[in-house]
Amino acid sequence: MSGQTSANTVGGWTDEQIRSLFDEERGLIDPRIYTDTLLYERELDRIFSRSWLLLGHETHVPKPGDYLATYMGEDPVILVRQKDASLRVFLNQCRHRSMRICRADAGNARAFTCSYHGWAYDISGKLVNVPFESQGYGVLDKAEWSPLQARVATYKGLIFANWDQDASDLDAYLGDAAFYLDHMLDRSETGTEAIGGIQKWVIPCNWKFAAEQFCSDMYHAGTVSHLSGIMAGLPEDVELGNVQIPTAGFQFRSDGGGHGTGFYVAEPAMLQAIMGPRVTEYWTDSPAAEAARRRLGSAERACQLMAQHMTIFPTCSFLPGINTVRTWHPRGPGEIEVWAFTVVDADAPDEIKEEYRRQTIRTFSAGGVFEQDDGENWVEIQRVLRGHMARNQTLNAQLGLGQWRTDHPDYPGRISYVYSEEAARGFYQHWSDMMTRSDMSAALHRRSGLTAPGQCGKSIEVAK
Amino acid sequence: MKVTTEAADLSKNDRNSGQGMQLRPQISNVDVQVQHEIEQFYYREAWLLDNRKFKEWFALLDDDIRYFMPLRTSRIQREGALEFSGDNEFAHFDDDIKTMKGRLRKLLSDVGWSENPASRTRHIVSNVIVNTLDSDDVYEVSSAFFVYRNRLESQVDLFAGERRDILRRRADGIGFGIGKRIILIDQSTINSNNLSILF
Repeated sequence: MSGQTSANTVGGWTDEQIRSLFDEERGLIDPRIYTDTLLYERELDRIFSRSWLLLGHETHVPKPGDYLATYMGEDPVILVRQKDASLRVFLNQCRHRSMRICRADAGNARAFTCSYHGWAYDISGKLVNVPFESQGYGVLDKAEWSPLQARVATYKGLIFANWDQDASDLDAYLGDAAFYLDHMLDRSETGTEAIGGIQKWVIPCNWKFAAEQFCSDMYHAGTVSHLSGIMAGLPEDVELGNVQIPTAGFQFRSDGGGHGTGFYVAEPAMLQAIMGPRVTEYWTDSPAAEAARRRLGSAERACQLMAQHMTIFPTCSFLPGINTVRTWHPRGPGEIEVWAFTVVDADAPDEIKEEYRRQTIRTFSAGGVFEQDDGENWVEIQRVLRGHMARNQTLNAQLGLGQWRTDHPDYPGRISYVYSEEAARGFYQHWSDMMTRSDMSAALHRRSGLTAPGQCGKSIEVAK
Repeated sequence: MKVTTEAADLSKNDRNSGQGMQLRPQISNVDVQVQHEIEQFYYREAWLLDNRKFKEWFALLDDDIRYFMPLRTSRIQREGALEFSGDNEFAHFDDDIKTMKGRLRKLLSDVGWSENPASRTRHIVSNVIVNTLDSDDVYEVSSAFFVYRNRLESQVDLFAGERRDILRRRADGIGFGIGKRIILIDQSTINSNNLSILF
């Protein structure tokens, strides 16, 4: 097999070589996955062109013509609400000379006109007017020369898009992870709404550091990364030494999808430190918490899961309870743009919405007392990996290796202790599979998926 | 200087009053002494930050401080009023005295990694426009800032923008307290891995 040059050799790496970069059984990572330019180009093709990617929340574009200019991987796209309330996502690229069709971040439009030669598009992304068409082109096939359309689907307010017509639908893609998404998205019959505004900033680090941490890493929060963030939220007369860092909780690894989550159970110290007493009370002991208990069918899931972290593969990450949601847009192997927003229950009292707004700005944002320190870690890792010897040292992903079960009575998927890297191993195994297998869509369809004890809602595909 | 055109109305493009004030350049209505005192206050304030006298800097904040940096987006002309995020929307900072004290505690701790080791900063403050308010002791001030940050080995971040402050005269300290600070940063995507410094 080795030395074989065939269709399996793409961008200088053979499938076999790529598979050897992550050793699932022994929990070993080859750090070149974070630095190699050819691997990154392959990620854009095999992962970002075939996965469901988070673009925003339905309430970002409530009215017909409302649009967001955003990205799928490195590709600029426009997300637009249609007159029939459906959503469209298409490449933000004029097919004449590749000019960006829409150059504002957001707004409301009746049409998009390319500022280079005036090719005009309606809000569904259809080319409708070409200057000097009859003189210059005779008749131009406008359907053929319209921008590329993506598939769009929503899951309980969150909008995802996918370029791959053969990819499984969003429900199958989320699979057993939807159960855990519902902790944030399905607490109230009114669903969630986004607090206005998307915060954007640049971190010079590989996208997988951010995505893996939200997928699998309570370890950094329970040890030293965020001690000063915790300290910033303490009452003035309470010392850090008096804080009981939680120790009880679980981690979940999705069955084959690369998704992961983890949470403390019935230990509120971390949630208190991040969101303060009012949000903690709202989440655990309030009429809204009671409504969530009824909807989710479990008092523990609704009210006792604390400081939950989660990633939907590859780059959709969020923290149920804290309610920050973000996409890590890749910008080469060594840089990301973070696009972050906050959601709240649509029927939450105004003072709770305000508290969510202020506390997530305070903690999980570019200036957030927690997130400041994440940016510091990832940047330093990326710098260290410039080293030739450093890039050739195997990294340890063995925390909780082999310590999991799939027969938990309350929680679907592969369940391990809250301080584990089982979900990270699932994340990297899925990365490896996506990079090397052409049958991933079928594989996602086949997996056990929706075997959750609780109910999971259905995603809605809104444009194809 | 007297500017009266619509375009020069700094409050006009604000989505709401979050940016704080009906500030509009007009013929200066403060005497040279006040202008001098306020400029000197800013130079000394910048010195405190750049020399990491954080306790002394935090002591300049009045108890009712709002430390606010709205988001900024690129908008087409006719939707220019939406450029800054509003009071009930997301922001880069929106702190009161209590949460600012938490930031101080983080800065002074041994485990605040984003500023330990500390950044090297230089705050350059200029274009100071002072308007008096009803009381002689309260001023509404616009200033331009340029902040250079260098951290660890070779990281460099540059931030420019405008601050809109309410300053209240104090008998002690360096002459004034900060009742409000609205920071209008000249970036939409923050071109840095974090905002762990003060503006």
